[in-house]
Amino acid sequence: MSFFGFNTTLPRDRAPAGEQRGIFDTPDPFAEVARARLAANFRDDKDDDVIDFEDTYDGLGDQLDDDQDAFNDDTFGGGFDTGPVGKDFDFFGKTAQVADVIGEEQIRYSLQKPGAPATAPSQPTADAALPDTADQKPKRSGYEKYNDPGYIPDLQAKSSVWGMSKKPEQQFQQQLQQLQQPTPQMVAQAKKMLSLEEVEAQLRRQGPSSLPAQIPLSLPQSMPEPTQPLQRAQMPPLPEGFPQLPPEILQAQFAKGVPPALLQHQPPMVPEPYPLPPNLPIHMLQNANLPPQHMVPPQRQAMPPAAQRPQQQQPPLPQAPRGNNVQLPVITNSQQLMHLTEEQRVAYLMEDAKRAKRNHKIFLLSRGNGLMTPQDKNFITRIQLQQLVAAAGNVADSDAEAVLAEDFYYQVYSQIRGAPRQHPHQPLGHFAQTYLLQTGNRLGGHGSRRQFQSADNHMQRMQQQVQRAVEAAKQKPKNKQLIIEGSLGKISFSNAKTPKPMLNIKRPESSEGAKTVKKPHTDLSVSDRKSVLTNLESVYSTLMDMEDMERTMPPPPDENDPEAIQKHMEWRQKIRSLNQKLWRNLKVMEPIVPNTNTPHPFIAFLAYPKGKKAIPRIFRHIDQEQRVTILTMIVVHLDSLDVVRRAQPVPGETQPSLAVREAIELFSQAVMPSLLGYVNEAPFNIIIGLLGLVIAQTHVQMISRTRIGLGILTMLLSRAEIVKEAGQATERDWQQWVEKFNVLFDTLEPTFADIFPSAINAGDDMYVWQFLAAVGIGASPEQQQRLVIAVKDRVMETVTYSKTLPADMASARLGNVNLFMRAIGLDVELLG
Amino acid sequence: MLFFSFFKTLTNQTVTIELKNDIRIRGTLKSVDQYLNIKLDDVDVLDLDKYPHLSSVKNMFIRGSVVRYVMLPRSEVDIGLLEDATRREAANQAGKAR
Repeated sequence: MSFFGFNTTLPRDRAPAGEQRGIFDTPDPFAEVARARLAANFRDDKDDDVIDFEDTYDGLGDQLDDDQDAFNDDTFGGGFDTGPVGKDFDFFGKTAQVADVIGEEQIRYSLQKPGAPATAPSQPTADAALPDTADQKPKRSGYEKYNDPGYIPDLQAKSSVWGMSKKPEQQFQQQLQQLQQPTPQMVAQAKKMLSLEEVEAQLRRQGPSSLPAQIPLSLPQSMPEPTQPLQRAQMPPLPEGFPQLPPEILQAQFAKGVPPALLQHQPPMVPEPYPLPPNLPIHMLQNANLPPQHMVPPQRQAMPPAAQRPQQQQPPLPQAPRGNNVQLPVITNSQQLMHLTEEQRVAYLMEDAKRAKRNHKIFLLSRGNGLMTPQDKNFITRIQLQQLVAAAGNVADSDAEAVLAEDFYYQVYSQIRGAPRQHPHQPLGHFAQTYLLQTGNRLGGHGSRRQFQSADNHMQRMQQQVQRAVEAAKQKPKNKQLIIEGSLGKISFSNAKTPKPMLNIKRPESSEGAKTVKKPHTDLSVSDRKSVLTNLESVYSTLMDMEDMERTMPPPPDENDPEAIQKHMEWRQKIRSLNQKLWRNLKVMEPIVPNTNTPHPFIAFLAYPKGKKAIPRIFRHIDQEQRVTILTMIVVHLDSLDVVRRAQPVPGETQPSLAVREAIELFSQAVMPSLLGYVNEAPFNIIIGLLGLVIAQTHVQMISRTRIGLGILTMLLSRAEIVKEAGQATERDWQQWVEKFNVLFDTLEPTFADIFPSAINAGDDMYVWQFLAAVGIGASPEQQQRLVIAVKDRVMETVTYSKTLPADMASARLGNVNLFMRAIGLDVELLG
Repeated sequence: MLFFSFFKTLTNQTVTIELKNDIRIRGTLKSVDQYLNIKLDDVDVLDLDKYPHLSSVKNMFIRGSVVRYVMLPRSEVDIGLLEDATRREAANQAGKAR
């Protein structure tokens, strides 16, 4: 059977050759004329029956029985009674089989016959097949419009290829008669191929006559009379303006004419009875915006709801231009035009029907357009992602925690840098505090401070969630095997990353083998580099744990809430255990081994920059007792402290090496403030004890030559002075202090001149003057005198030197000296 | 994720990127992604004499895999924080490996 009603019989089987033209055969246009002439000669005496239609009709339509029209119905949109056609009918697939050929054929055809219309001639088969399909689809097709003679459908170019033109036989014959009479002279040229010029000449000759315009589109094949040249001459107007106009263009114009809003308010349509073709031709897609005016089903049109009326009146607007466009080429008789194009109309009814279906579908889908803002969509996406991650079973921890874990640096950094920083050079301890507090605040819900980053964070959280989803998917044990139920074997998959395992050896769960390889920890020394660094890292990780704990500190418990109290207790317990861990890792309590070359682990700890940097953070998490222990440790080991030991002046060098200077700088920035912070609150007896330790345990003369050593001494001396000024010291304590101080003074007196950096221009000596001032304040008048004598030279040197300096530097130097001078009741001005 | 996290903080800073083919490009870091692909704006190519074909390039997208070095503005790096972040990352990795 034939899908589109084409004659699928081979040419040799076809009874009247040339009668029937499918799209795949290109008959000799003149053979037909010759044959027609024969026929005419045969019965040219019977004028009343010039053409017997049966002669020109191959009777294919009769061959088609109704069963075999089943697919035709489907194709053309009728046939509600065709049960076998399921919803999965592959319309496009079938069409696609010929679609290309159609186009090629059309081009080739028009190339071969320059004058011939692209519109293919009448096809009787279609004639026979179409009327009943058209008649049988009264209700649901939505094509009724097309039966309206005033309706001029589009897409002629394509539909012409189907080669179907339908016309009443009577009119056909009438036209033939009209044709025959004025064109006897043409008969002679019938078999001759005409050039374009000749065709044009003929056209011109016939130009004024109104007759050509009335010639039906589809004459050639059915024309038994030898009028072929004439026909061809008359055809050109059609292909030029009419059928070759790309329908898409027309439709695109229509689409623009209708405000999109109308589309959205279009009432829902009855569900289409046809399955939507899986793939749609491109021009269908382009037409997606076409207003669905002509796809309103008839039922709707019959009884439109009130809301529908406005749209019902819409159609005339776009239709008017369409009518004009289409009518342009064939001008004269619109009634005739209707007849001419009717079969074409039928042919592409289905095109419109498909389009209508698609538009309807799009409309149904687009009803919710614009209901959600992008933010809403983002939000939904996040929820979905969250669920995805949750489904993957990877989020036991809270969102904030995960964010912090995955993106710690960025999160904290943006907290810190985003906030206005009061002191651009905050000490590290403050910085640490800042970042923790801020993080805690924000995660605790005070996010409003960082409004301007919220969008950023939002995207970022999205990203992270995606990341985690991906990670979860990766971690999820992939189905490496498929065991189909009831089967005997397994199907294992493989990919590039996990090739199919040839051997499947199960690892013992307890990986004893791996453990034994590891050497038992060689406890050579607790102060060797490796163990110190290990300690350091565990200190840091403990610190971070503690800081995390601090962040998750439960609110101060309400007395009436046992649960909150319980929580708080647990938290305290955890903090305490962490504190213990930290303390253990610090190794402060390691026994002090006198007279050994290996430094104490804690002192070794402090030798590393990151050890120094850790001190402020450690001090925030330990209690006073632990702090004094640390301070004591430092004081006891003052001369083995790297910043003291390595800072000893070397003869010939004006200052310590760069690395040592950096270490000293770091120590005084990181460690000293913490120590000072403690000392400033320490009870007097501890100060006395510490001073005693310095005198007893260390080489005071040695440490006094270093900046850190002097710094610690200054710290102790000045604290004692403050205690004394505040009157907090008891008489007995003070006596003890003075004793110690005297010892210290006596020890230091010979070296007072040596505690300065070697050269006067070697750099900053302020710390020395500070120390001298601290000594001077606490000293007796007799000691002050000795002190002045000891440092007199340096004072004078500095005063002289400062005169060679620029004003600001000079005043700075003199100010340092004055610090000392005023402590003993003098002033540099007196030396002037 | 550490590097991603880190580079994100450098957006809108001027960085110099050295590619594996020795081209060095200075520009404003516009964005980074998880592959450390980099978008640069206001691009300056150092040694422009050697790479004249880049003279009219104003912005670019650099695939992360072709980057050899990224030279950072030191003041924009919080070293202490970065150390901690590194520790966390290491801990995370160790946790995952287990």
